[in-house]
Amino acid sequence: MAPVTFSNVQKSYGVHPVIHGVDIDIADGEFVVLVGPSGCGKSTLLRMLAGLETISDGDIVIDDTVVNDLEPKQRDIAMVFQNYALYPHMTVADNMGFSLHHRGASKTEIKERVDWAAGILGLDTYLERRPGQLSGGQRQRVAMGRAIVRDPKVFLFDEPLSNLDAKLRVVMRGEIKALHQKLKTTTIYVTHDQVEAMTMADKIVVLNGGRIEQIGSPLDLYDNPVNQFVAAFIGSPSMNFIEGHVEGANFVTGDAQLPAPTALPNGKPVVYGVRPEHFRLDPAGGIKAEVVVVEPMGSETQVTMQIAGQNVFGIFRERVSARPGEVLTLGVDQAHTHLFDAGSGLRLSAA
Amino acid sequence: MKSDLSPRMKVAVYGLMLVLLIPFVFPTWWMVTSSVKPISDIFAFPPEIIPSRFDFSTYRQAFELQPFAQQYWNSAYIAAIVTCGTLLFSAMAGYAFARIDFPFANALFMVLLVGLLIPSEVTIVPLFQIFLGWDMINTHWPLILVPVFGAPSVFATFVMRQFFIALPKELEEAARVDGLGRFKIFWTIALPLAKPALGAVAIFTFLHSWNLYLEPIVFLSSPEKFTLPQALTQFTDAYGGAMWNIQLAAATMTAIPVLIVFVIAQRQFVEGLAHTGLKG
Ligand SMILES: Nc1ncnc2c1ncn2[C@@H]1O[C@H](COP(=O)(O)OP(=O)(O)OP(=O)(O)O)[C@@H](O)[C@H]1O
Ligand SMILES: [Mg+2]
Repeated sequence: MAPVTFSNVQKSYGVHPVIHGVDIDIADGEFVVLVGPSGCGKSTLLRMLAGLETISDGDIVIDDTVVNDLEPKQRDIAMVFQNYALYPHMTVADNMGFSLHHRGASKTEIKERVDWAAGILGLDTYLERRPGQLSGGQRQRVAMGRAIVRDPKVFLFDEPLSNLDAKLRVVMRGEIKALHQKLKTTTIYVTHDQVEAMTMADKIVVLNGGRIEQIGSPLDLYDNPVNQFVAAFIGSPSMNFIEGHVEGANFVTGDAQLPAPTALPNGKPVVYGVRPEHFRLDPAGGIKAEVVVVEPMGSETQVTMQIAGQNVFGIFRERVSARPGEVLTLGVDQAHTHLFDAGSGLRLSAA
Repeated sequence: MKSDLSPRMKVAVYGLMLVLLIPFVFPTWWMVTSSVKPISDIFAFPPEIIPSRFDFSTYRQAFELQPFAQQYWNSAYIAAIVTCGTLLFSAMAGYAFARIDFPFANALFMVLLVGLLIPSEVTIVPLFQIFLGWDMINTHWPLILVPVFGAPSVFATFVMRQFFIALPKELEEAARVDGLGRFKIFWTIALPLAKPALGAVAIFTFLHSWNLYLEPIVFLSSPEKFTLPQALTQFTDAYGGAMWNIQLAAATMTAIPVLIVFVIAQRQFVEGLAHTGLKG
């Protein structure tokens, strides 16, 4: 168990910079999720921490030691790879005990640790099998077993669930989270799935194009995204964005007016952001929305609508029986709306 | 084997395969049966497919006319050393070319491959002079050194390199995280997974050494140093006429180890293939 710090970490492949100076502070025992679109540098960051990739500039510190020039084995980390990378020619038990074996642990100690890990992960009956004789979920567990037997300072996961089907993913998500609660080992988890990020993380780091967009707790990012990218990336279905400008205390687009969260100079072009669940059916709300599609889900109703010609998506607790073409009158909770600069995408606060 | 062929088609297909089999099987059949015929029956007309008279003394005579047991041993141990040496060097060199980032790796690999383009007939005379200088003529050294450091090894290196390139990198990265250094990764992860490639290399290296003909006749001059292919040419009577039945008995015995190696290496080959499947 150990804290981890990235300070101004950079990475270039040849002349191509892919990580442009990243700072992250990870507390001892924290579960941090790196999330971002494909190619944003998540794996690269993780691999630099693991020692599988060199660091072009900046420092990575594990437990007060700068590890930039240390070999992976000296960093005392364990990593779970996306395709599991189990040794195909060894049994499950040998796969899990492999690192202990090479660190000079005794046979009894290896067996004890492997049995302990197998017990936690429900692998007791598979120890003598080869990885080829296991299902995807079982292989995933073996990969985790290989990581936990050693009791490392930090666990690294690189999209460990992306090869599993949707149902198993939910199960394994729970298991990884439960494992972390039991072991309390510092964990860094890479995914491009924001649902995984939201449900598992103590802290989320949103990356884009090799830069950090925002760091925060899941709900903090959800409620207070610093820019349009984070607002769009976190939350599913994602936040609605409506283009328009400011007029007094209102946001205006076409002939529609919506209450603005902050007062801004008149005429400023902005993007108005509101999450689907923050619309409500409100005859006094004054926002006219033309219904495009109604999707009743039972517990809620999802409605695709148009406000002044721009598509928006709403989720309502009540049942909505409007037909396409009908006009609904909506209200929004002003406290849950955001204004973003139309150019930079940054969230605007009171001028 | 499943197939959706109609019974009639099946008969036709199997019939055709049987016919195609004849040119492959007939020479072997002829060799084995003729080795137990009296010499006069070998060229009998019409040819005897099944021998009518048997004479197994040819197998004994093969050992009496030549130091055949010694020659057998010569071939066997030379092929074994050449095979082991080639496996070792080609696996290490192939791994280095596939995985280790060193300057001019690709250029060096190209230079190495050029070695395959030079026919052995071209290099045999200079090689003879080199080995003469080293006092190794009429010893087995040239037959070991030339293949292990020559074209067969280059080809083996090529095969191994291609195999290691295709091996998933994550396996080795996992091993690095597990605390292994480069050589241990090679030895405990990459090499065991390379069994199919090693099997293929073993088969063709053994065959190459076992069947080598030009080099032994150039480098060796005394019968007790001879290897089998060279020895096979020596079964002649006092007038230089070939003693066909004895020669074919010796040839049959020469072919047997090849079959054995093939069966062993082939099993490795198939088992290895079954294990490398990384995919989920
Ligand atoms: N060996 C390499 N040489 C050159 N560029 C590389 C190399 N490895 C990665 N990159 C580049 O670095 C960038 C970040 O890659 P990385 O694998 O970290 O992305 P990622 O966020 O993990 O994406 P994904 O979600 O698809 O796994 C990409 O633009 C990629 O093209
Ligand atoms: Mg990745």
